[in-house]
Amino acid sequence: MKDKRLIPTVCPYCGVGCGFYLVVHEGGATGLEYRTDHPVNNGRLCAKGNAALEVLHHPDRLAYPMKKIRGRWERITWSEALNTVAAKLQASCDSNSPDSNAFLASAKCTNEENYLFQKLARLLGTNNVDHCARLCHAPTIVALAAAFGSGAMTNPLADLARADCIFVIGSNLAANHAPALHWIWAAKDRGAQVIVADPRHTATAWLANEFLQLKPGSDVALLNGMAHVIIAEGLADLNFIEGRTTGFGALAACVKEYTPQKVTALTGLAASQIVRAARTFARAEAATIAYCMGITQHTTGTDNVKAIANLLMLTGNIGRKATGFSPLRGQNNVQGACDMGALPNVYPGYQKVDDPEAMTKFSRAWHTDLDTRVGLALTEMFKAAHNKQLKAMLIVGENPLLSEPNLPFVREAIHNLNFLAVQDIFLTETARMADVVLPAASFAEKEGTFTNTERRIQLLRQALEPPGEARGDWQIIAALAARMGFPMHYASAAAIMDEIARLTPIYGGISHGRLNRRGGLQWPCWDHGHPGTSRLHVGQFTRGRGKFHVVHDRPPAEQPSREYPIVLTTGRVLEHWHTGSMSHRSAVLETLAPGSNVDLNPGDAARLGLMEGDGVEVLSRRGKIQGKVHADRRVPRGTVFMAFHWRDAPANELTNDAVDPQSKIPEFKVASVSVRPLRTRAAGP
Amino acid sequence: MSQPKEIFVRMDRCVGCHTCELACAVEHSTSKSIFSALSETPVPRKRLYVEAVERQNVPLLCRHCEDAPCARACLTGALTQDELTRIVSHDPDRCIGCWMCTMVCRYGVVGRLKEQRVAIKCDRCPDREVPACVAACPTRALVFTREENFAGIVRAQAASQVAQGYAMGKNE
Repeated sequence: MKDKRLIPTVCPYCGVGCGFYLVVHEGGATGLEYRTDHPVNNGRLCAKGNAALEVLHHPDRLAYPMKKIRGRWERITWSEALNTVAAKLQASCDSNSPDSNAFLASAKCTNEENYLFQKLARLLGTNNVDHCARLCHAPTIVALAAAFGSGAMTNPLADLARADCIFVIGSNLAANHAPALHWIWAAKDRGAQVIVADPRHTATAWLANEFLQLKPGSDVALLNGMAHVIIAEGLADLNFIEGRTTGFGALAACVKEYTPQKVTALTGLAASQIVRAARTFARAEAATIAYCMGITQHTTGTDNVKAIANLLMLTGNIGRKATGFSPLRGQNNVQGACDMGALPNVYPGYQKVDDPEAMTKFSRAWHTDLDTRVGLALTEMFKAAHNKQLKAMLIVGENPLLSEPNLPFVREAIHNLNFLAVQDIFLTETARMADVVLPAASFAEKEGTFTNTERRIQLLRQALEPPGEARGDWQIIAALAARMGFPMHYASAAAIMDEIARLTPIYGGISHGRLNRRGGLQWPCWDHGHPGTSRLHVGQFTRGRGKFHVVHDRPPAEQPSREYPIVLTTGRVLEHWHTGSMSHRSAVLETLAPGSNVDLNPGDAARLGLMEGDGVEVLSRRGKIQGKVHADRRVPRGTVFMAFHWRDAPANELTNDAVDPQSKIPEFKVASVSVRPLRTRAAGP
Repeated sequence: MSQPKEIFVRMDRCVGCHTCELACAVEHSTSKSIFSALSETPVPRKRLYVEAVERQNVPLLCRHCEDAPCARACLTGALTQDELTRIVSHDPDRCIGCWMCTMVCRYGVVGRLKEQRVAIKCDRCPDREVPACVAACPTRALVFTREENFAGIVRAQAASQVAQGYAMGKNE
């Protein structure tokens, strides 16, 4: 093909950060080519990655700003759109206080965009800025900051291949991070042992040498039980504990009561399984733990992560090659959005807003006074909107009307806002409820950087022009800021990164010029001569000594009752991605996974008189949905599984918005529901 | 003569992502690109199938059997087996859509083109060094190698598991 150009880019779906080449011909994307020299995926892509370009030229793309006038969308000019949003945000500032605005940043957007967005919120006088990390790895950040001093994945993905034991708990990475799987297979080829703990027999469980099918919400019990065995059998790494940690005595006392017999009762596992898993893990030369939403999305999320940190320190599996901690992140730039301070309690680089020194530093750099009070977390924003404390919201590239728990409440909350503006590439469920919609550019249509799950900052190059009048998010944010009296003069995304580097020590050596190479750089990268850091906590923890935390088994917030006897647990499927604003618009992915299911154990289905494909109503204390039964042996008895991707059967109508008190993450993984047949089946032969 | 390469499946590695099916359909399209391919007529069609059975995904694709039953059953000569490579290929111009091949294939991997009454099956990607499905598989469940090499891979895995069990036994 003549004029065919290959542009290296980063997949816009999950946090693995796979690289591939975008094939561009005559200004349009015509295909993708595998990038076999990429350090993350070596050319491998999952079905979503392969279909990543389908959303680019989709007819549903938002191409111009719109305003809702008497319930109908009308096209408006950029100038009117920006003036309206600026005036509404300022109005709620003037008549109330800056804290009556809230800003929802996006883990889909670049680092530069998230930086500008949180800066805008803070210039307007509020720390009410957050993003969907609240719903996925908030407990990781809180727990790891307490245990190690830094809340990110410790080792590169490629290290998985060199581990002798890989313990996967609460993660269906075979479906959600499929290209990362090849590292685990490489480890298995070397003879590594894989332990998988999950209430469902997932595709990841097929990897396991030891599969632990535990009861939902009993993770702390299992992890403490393993710690008990490790200490009791003398398998703990006493040199590491002595040299690098504090609080071991308290941990030993705490896990003393978690005997295999007691843990059996709490988890539903056999005592021999717990002992075997503990021995395999502790005896491995290099062991690592990968986890995901099954650990974090609980009211005990932070405790769960602390229990994982305990196990790693107990066995000395941190700060070395092929060991450590792999919180697998679900969005292409959720790590970056956290790094950039799109969080209510920290500035870029995790510098605390309530630390006067940090406040002064940013106040000087941004030439304004800053608030030292921690802002509202995402889950608190909707509570504040519901009771009308919050007046206006600006949401960028997020779709809370499918992704938040207890959707009936969130709908009411958004309804109660005076003003909502949404910036996105498609008219999402949330954008439909907005007053003004701003059309944004997709990953292929702008410059910037994404930071993947292993802290790897990768450069994104513009391959295409955005459709119609759509603009890059950073350009929209800068234009908006200018209209509110905060001129932002950036010539390019690279110039924004230079400002980030000046203010964010862990990104201190990052510049677009340096990133223009295969695989980018991993933070912390302190200065322009620094090569980046592939492993954290080598020799010493970020906080000095690693801290053991005492954590105890606590039951989920909601227990099965007579009225709601079944446990609902939610998750994702391989072919779709989160609220599906992109993946549902991919013809290929829709063909592979065309609809939602209510997955029930065949035994439960039979007991309820249900057959494959039957219509059911699922009810919780919060809402109800209708769906189709899929009888699936991988789901244990007494449990129903639903993916949260679908608008026609949104699992989050049912989920519980009770939150973990430390990290404020909701308990997506456990809710009590009842399942009723929609029609009674005629008594048949 | 050295053995020809074949497509082997490491069954335990398949996560059921269907990427191989996509890659197959795209490779057999005119544009060879995923989103232009969708609008083509005939619609590009996959020639391998990932079947989900109890707790396991099984990618099924033409085994290019020796003395291939499909080629034997084909009355028009549309299906022929290459003397040297043993690849069974299909000539749509000679196909009359009698489905004898579909009936005799024990793997159910002879399909049908949507728009025409002709059979369709794996051709081992004659334009490529490595078949498209193998190149696309993110977990490397599909392997393109010689039988002797594949058996070697399996033996190495078995040996390492036996060794590990042996070591565990000594530790108990």
